Amino acid sequence: MKNDLWATLYRGMVRANAWEQQLLRFIEQGLTSGFYHAGRGQEAVAVGACAAVRDDDYLLYDHRGLGQAIAKGIPLDRLYGDFLTRETGTTRGLGAGIVHIAWPELGILGQSGTLGGAFPIASGAALAAQMRGSDQVVICFFGEGAANRGTFLEAANVASLWKLPVIWLCENNGWSVSVSFEASSATANIADRASAYNMPGVIVDGMDVVAVHEVVVAAVARARAGEGPTLIEAKTYRFRGHYEGDPQTYREDEELEMWKKKDPIVLHEKRLLENGYSEAELGAIRNEVAEEIAVAADRALAAPKPPMERVFEGVLA
Amino acid sequence: MITLGKAINMGLRRALTEDPKVLVMGEDVGKLGGVFRVTENLQSEFGEDRIIDTPLAESGILGTAIGLALRGYRPVCEIQFDGFVYPAFDQITSQLAKMHARSLGTLKLPVVVRIPYGGGIGAVEHHSESNETYFAHTAGLRVVTCSNPNDAYWMMQQAIQSDDPVIFFEPKRRYWDKAEVNEEAPSLGLHETRTVQEGSDLTLISYGPTVRTAIEVAAVCAKEGRSVEVMDLRTLSPLDLAPVFESAQKTGRVVILHEAPTFLGLGAEIASQITEECFYSLDAPVLRVGGFNVPYPPARLEEHYLPDLDRTLDAIDRAFAF
Ligand SMILES: Cc1ncc(C[n+]2csc(CCOP(=O)(O)OP(=O)(O)O)c2C)c(N)n1
Repeated sequence: MKNDLWATLYRGMVRANAWEQQLLRFIEQGLTSGFYHAGRGQEAVAVGACAAVRDDDYLLYDHRGLGQAIAKGIPLDRLYGDFLTRETGTTRGLGAGIVHIAWPELGILGQSGTLGGAFPIASGAALAAQMRGSDQVVICFFGEGAANRGTFLEAANVASLWKLPVIWLCENNGWSVSVSFEASSATANIADRASAYNMPGVIVDGMDVVAVHEVVVAAVARARAGEGPTLIEAKTYRFRGHYEGDPQTYREDEELEMWKKKDPIVLHEKRLLENGYSEAELGAIRNEVAEEIAVAADRALAAPKPPMERVFEGVLA
Repeated sequence: MITLGKAINMGLRRALTEDPKVLVMGEDVGKLGGVFRVTENLQSEFGEDRIIDTPLAESGILGTAIGLALRGYRPVCEIQFDGFVYPAFDQITSQLAKMHARSLGTLKLPVVVRIPYGGGIGAVEHHSESNETYFAHTAGLRVVTCSNPNDAYWMMQQAIQSDDPVIFFEPKRRYWDKAEVNEEAPSLGLHETRTVQEGSDLTLISYGPTVRTAIEVAAVCAKEGRSVEVMDLRTLSPLDLAPVFESAQKTGRVVILHEAPTFLGLGAEIASQITEECFYSLDAPVLRVGGFNVPYPPARLEEHYLPDLDRTLDAIDRAFAF
């Protein structure tokens, strides 16, 4: 049976991926740096989760891909503008490789390049929502590597203590640069740590966009109802190197091949085809997205670069 | 000819071979050999017990190293990039720097903290900072930086031998610079300033990544008939300024060049001390060339930020205009 939400989730993943593919072409052309951390393979987490929140809910994203910001609705050409150092970038040209976007109208509060720095900030934004009596929630993305920062303890404790509306969303892709999850975690799952803070810990298949969406919907409902935070661990995998150019000597090809069979976009495509969608309908979605990406890329390329003075702007209010 | 990165690797290898208490720890230092490959192949040679891949947790890395040092080990911690040292700042400034004094000298803290620092590699936020002043400003820490492979090789070993904590700044954009390394004996101690090349008209002081810039500046000046003496500080705390005073008294003009912002940068301290010691010998105020007082800009704009040949030559012109 056709399901509009499923089609929307498909479009979301296709957009995130197509946006990244174009960015990789920009990197190949030397138009931006290879410091980009590709999100290929992890689209289901960003797209499934962000579809469960409203425009006015808050987002703290992390360095892996731009899927979360794209899913939240940032104009695609503005994102390219950051990577290409253009006036039209969201930071007016202060991007390149990893972009520190803040877009308050869409609730995007930013990321912390020093991983783990965002945890207490997420609790603070959630406390603000609670204090103002709004029902907004905060969704905070992080990798299993960053989960080992002590800041998680500080933030998770107050979030649970004060029943703050936070969704802690761990994208466990198995690797923190070259260090495997097994070699760096005392617990078999990140979600196992939730009980230490007296909050629910949920494990979900991070390659299944619908499954991710459902657990986040439940966590958001709990948060909006004033019942407090949830820790969700999405088991996923990064298909590309840690950064562009990473020789990836630390992991086995077989492991990558095994995970590639669970490509979240391919899996979801199959589900749609089995549920009443035609190849032509999905093809139409892909074509529309390709057109959207091409327009965004052209628009960004056509924009001017910021002058040297940009370096001095905006340091203080 | 050996690269600066490889020279540090060789220095680490020699220290690990000579003293079984030496350990290396940090994110990705083992299997991968570090994101800059500075610890490459050390784990296969010395084992996982001595070359330790830690979780992503800088405060934990530093604190664990302190505990190890208190009980006889000599840990060398790698901070992956300059901007990631801040999570460990409490351990470094409140514990590592103070425990020796606090314990009336009974506790020894032979910890080395390696920090690849500075810009110029087309990186992003947190990956290009020159944050040496924070540590130089903290009593109880020794702070050094190398500018060439030979110093890198020897200073790393000298730092590991120190019974005090040493913050070891590595000029990451010079990791690939090549030069000869003399494996027989060091030419200087850890806390000695080097006169890189002699001159009589102006003293150009630098350290770390900008020493090479200073040498290039001196070559341009020579063509213009100006004889520039180039000094490489090497030690940022304690400072070794006696040779600097001597040089300033000889030339009467001093320019200090570093990548860190000039505002409250090391250059300010050095200029002040030179003024106090050499006032009657100076023909011009001591001038500084450095980064601007703004967050380090990302890759595509960093050429505007980095103090380069032109900005240094401009300062030298100003020094001669007095
Ligand atoms: C505090 C801090 N230390 C180190 C780094 C360097 N670094 C960037 S990404 C990364 C690995 C992060 O692993 P994880 O959180 O699992 O996310 P993933 O890269 O796998 O998506 C490291 C060590 C950093 N950004 N911040």
